[in-house]
Amino acid sequence: MNGDSSVPERPERRRYVPLLYRVAAVNALLLVIAVAVTIVVLDSNRASSFRIDAEGAALIIALLLVVAINVYLVRRVVGPVQALTALARRVDLSDHGERMPVADPASEAGELATTFNEMLARLEDERREATGRVLAGQEAERLRIAQELHDQVGQELTAVLLGLARVEARVPTELRDDVGEVQHAVRGSLEEVRQIAIELRPEALDDLGLQSALAVLCERFSERFGLHVKQELGGQLPELSPDAELVVYRVAQEALTNVARHSGAHEAELTLTPEHGLLALTVTDAGTGLPEGHVPGTGMRGMRERATLVGASLTIDGDVVDGGTRVRLEVSTDGRRSLELTGENGR
Amino acid sequence: MITVQQHTAPYTLGSSGEVTPLRVLVVDDHPAVRLGLLQLLDDQPDFDVVDAACTAEEARSLAEREPIDVAVVDYQLGSRSGLWLTRMLKRLEPAPRVVMYSAFSDGPLAAACVVAGADGLVSKRGAGPELCHAIRAVARGQSRLPLVPPTLAGAMRRRLGSDEQAIFGMLLAGIDPDEIATTLGLSAQSLDSRRWAMLHKLEGLRSDPAGAPLTGGRIRRRRLPGC
Repeated sequence: MNGDSSVPERPERRRYVPLLYRVAAVNALLLVIAVAVTIVVLDSNRASSFRIDAEGAALIIALLLVVAINVYLVRRVVGPVQALTALARRVDLSDHGERMPVADPASEAGELATTFNEMLARLEDERREATGRVLAGQEAERLRIAQELHDQVGQELTAVLLGLARVEARVPTELRDDVGEVQHAVRGSLEEVRQIAIELRPEALDDLGLQSALAVLCERFSERFGLHVKQELGGQLPELSPDAELVVYRVAQEALTNVARHSGAHEAELTLTPEHGLLALTVTDAGTGLPEGHVPGTGMRGMRERATLVGASLTIDGDVVDGGTRVRLEVSTDGRRSLELTGENGR
Repeated sequence: MITVQQHTAPYTLGSSGEVTPLRVLVVDDHPAVRLGLLQLLDDQPDFDVVDAACTAEEARSLAEREPIDVAVVDYQLGSRSGLWLTRMLKRLEPAPRVVMYSAFSDGPLAAACVVAGADGLVSKRGAGPELCHAIRAVARGQSRLPLVPPTLAGAMRRRLGSDEQAIFGMLLAGIDPDEIATTLGLSAQSLDSRRWAMLHKLEGLRSDPAGAPLTGGRIRRRRLPGC
């Protein structure tokens, strides 16, 4: 059935007789009428009766031939339209570059294909811009929240902690344990606020560059989740734009989060290696790998969008040799693009 | 549970032989935290809080006027960082000891503190007894800086020039700056200017054309009113 409910985003398509058959049928009908008229005219003009066997056969063969040629020609005209429909249905704007082949630009079909390709390019550009704006807005918002958390909540909690330390020194001994418990709770909250602020904004990236920021990130995962991350951060790396650095950092962060939360592995490996013309980040774990028919979560989809924005490509291999998962990001180190993803300019 | 240790051991002896309390300067731009620190440290019988400043510049001029034993400095001080203040305080004769405290007492900041010449780094979680202990420890000439993980130190080293890498390594190893200058054949001034340059690279902070002031903080913040 066309109205399959498992594909809700596509409205039910109405069945119709394809243009090819309609044109061919009309043409064939016209030809048949023409032939019939010819026979009648010839018949009335001639004294002798129409020799149905010989002339009739010739006429019918000619008729079939003309219909076949007609179908062939119509198919050539309609073919590109069908190809266009198929492409329009499957095209994925986040996966750039798929285009309609233009056989003959100086024809209606060619012009249609060219126009369609131009429209695709425009849509892709607009989408890239819109995604860039959304992500830049998201980064700016994260920065703002991290600052608020740090400047307001963090400072207030610190002041509370200082006050409690004073109180503790003054209260009678039997109340000290109670004050200690409150102090413990406040310390926990302060730590939580700090963790959230750090996750929201990779502050080490702004100040220390990608390699140090990744080293800090790995340390934090071992501290927080007991995940030991073996790091190979390369030597001298080619310089990336701030946008690309942020993408590399966020992909590493997301990949390690997935390892810590889902893979069941206690060890992972993070490498950052320069290869000719590009910088490759890989995060590999020895966990359970991806389940059959795995659908990437919003986190990873977001990563892919980000990667596309800076001209990078992201591959996820759910079945590496030792059964785990490998995330690989390749960032081109030439032809930088600035999309103001870092959010600093969005403020 | 940690309790406040009521320390009475003499740190500095006056000419008459009686205990002189440690002269402490508090520097924080957040009013509530500044007040909290002031009160907490003032409660300690062995501390004498000389003053509380809310900007790095104010703290610097205060320290120039009055001798200070230990400066307790918030890392994030609005327009200028606690690291800038540390370098400035360390130029004074005699140089006060400096305890930095921050929400981020992690590897990168520890490394920056080593380069700036701070003597201690305390997390804001340790605001209270831990801070008091650290102040006493640095006053005795000890160091209270957390360790910098080796991978991080390696990654940070790559951002520096080759002679700076040597200085960075020696500072992390806890070698005395005078000794470093002698080993590398540098004057005290040129070692000082290299430390400034390293701070700029390690912190990614901006400097004005004169090169000296470090601005901002890891999460760049607005100036708070009333400060």
